[in-house]
Amino acid sequence: MTHFSEEDLIAYQLHESSDEAAIKRHLDECSDCAAVSDSIAETLRVFSSEPVPPPDLDRNWQRLRGNLSVLTPAPRRARFPRFLLWPTAGLAAAALLLFAFVGIHITHNGDRIADLLPSLDRLNHTNTAINGHGPLTTEPTAAADPGMANHLDAAERLLTEVNHTSGPLDPADRAQARQLLLSNAVYTRTARDHGNLAQAAVLDDLGRVLTTLDNEPPSPHKTLQVRLEMNTSGLLLDIRILRQNDERQNENRQ
Amino acid sequence: MNKAEADAIEQILAGNRDAYRVLMDRHFSAVHRIAFRITGNQADAEEAAQEAFLRAYNKLPGFRRDASFSTWITRIAMNTAINLVERRNRDLSQHGPRIADNPSAPDQTVQMADVYPGPERQLLDREAATLRAEALAALTPMERTAFTLRHMEDLPIAEIAAALNVPANSAKQAVFRAVGKLRRSLAPLAGGLQ
Repeated sequence: MTHFSEEDLIAYQLHESSDEAAIKRHLDECSDCAAVSDSIAETLRVFSSEPVPPPDLDRNWQRLRGNLSVLTPAPRRARFPRFLLWPTAGLAAAALLLFAFVGIHITHNGDRIADLLPSLDRLNHTNTAINGHGPLTTEPTAAADPGMANHLDAAERLLTEVNHTSGPLDPADRAQARQLLLSNAVYTRTARDHGNLAQAAVLDDLGRVLTTLDNEPPSPHKTLQVRLEMNTSGLLLDIRILRQNDERQNENRQ
Repeated sequence: MNKAEADAIEQILAGNRDAYRVLMDRHFSAVHRIAFRITGNQADAEEAAQEAFLRAYNKLPGFRRDASFSTWITRIAMNTAINLVERRNRDLSQHGPRIADNPSAPDQTVQMADVYPGPERQLLDREAATLRAEALAALTPMERTAFTLRHMEDLPIAEIAAALNVPANSAKQAVFRAVGKLRRSLAPLAGGLQ
């Protein structure tokens, strides 16, 4: 005769068994299992529900009320259909990979051409297809300002830091964003005046992000949006290219 | 969630703390009852229930209005009560007095046998209560919670599992383990507990 386990018999007594009829038939025939089953039933009876003393609602309310602060509603989150979240994230990731692949491919080809044709001036090669602003040229511009490198460097560091932290901005970062915003306006205007529209467009984008950062995103969610925007627009990549261009211009001058 | 509760939450979020009394009047007793089952005593049950209501209040701005406040507060209360039991287990000084440390008052020894239980009966009852409490205290908080809610409050396994944030099978196994342990704790006293 196959006996039932203690677990089976507990499930039977708690009416959680899927084979209640079979266990009942077995218990009628098997005195050993019936004894265990009775013992379980006795245990459940001993630990049966005891009355719970009612709480004093008034006293509990008075104690609780003293600890309640005045609340304000949480800001409503922007409506973004949840079912679109993953497809959008997937598309953004695919776009980033494509940009990275194209960038690496172009740079790699440029280096090979330069190696094969030493007479070819590398400065004549252009970076294309960056962020939809047209070519970011490596041609020297007339207004190569040494301060520009510092500006781009500072902007890159700030954006990298913002991109890798969570929660609201700390005051130091916000102050730096404000400071960069002023110099960025000057460099944007200068780039536009010298006809360097690709550079002006990138600086324009940078200006928009700096303005958002300066105006204190009110919640971590908003900050996250800024970070996503920076990631998906490839602003950091554009700034790095601008900075490299600027360094090359300075090298050429020397 | 019914309209009165939804209105109360609106008022609370508009700055009216006293509107929380509406939710407390409706749910405090049930929350206290569950906390009592988990903690096993009135003082801890009230503390856990109050803490649960305070936590719920502070999280109210993020509470989804389409959810049930009752389910939400119950889940918070279970977790709060389990945490309290774990804290108490860590703090040995919080263990309650044993029966031997607390003799009966003299007036309880003179009672009519046919109306009140006699001193022997009282002593046995109190010893039985102490043994039951000790057996329950020997369970893990998860086992105790799953067992008391399933057996004493008659809650379905699925609801217990959801509140404890574990798979249904884990909650069921916790109940089975608890019954097994309790049965073994009573085995030496078989026949002594009526």
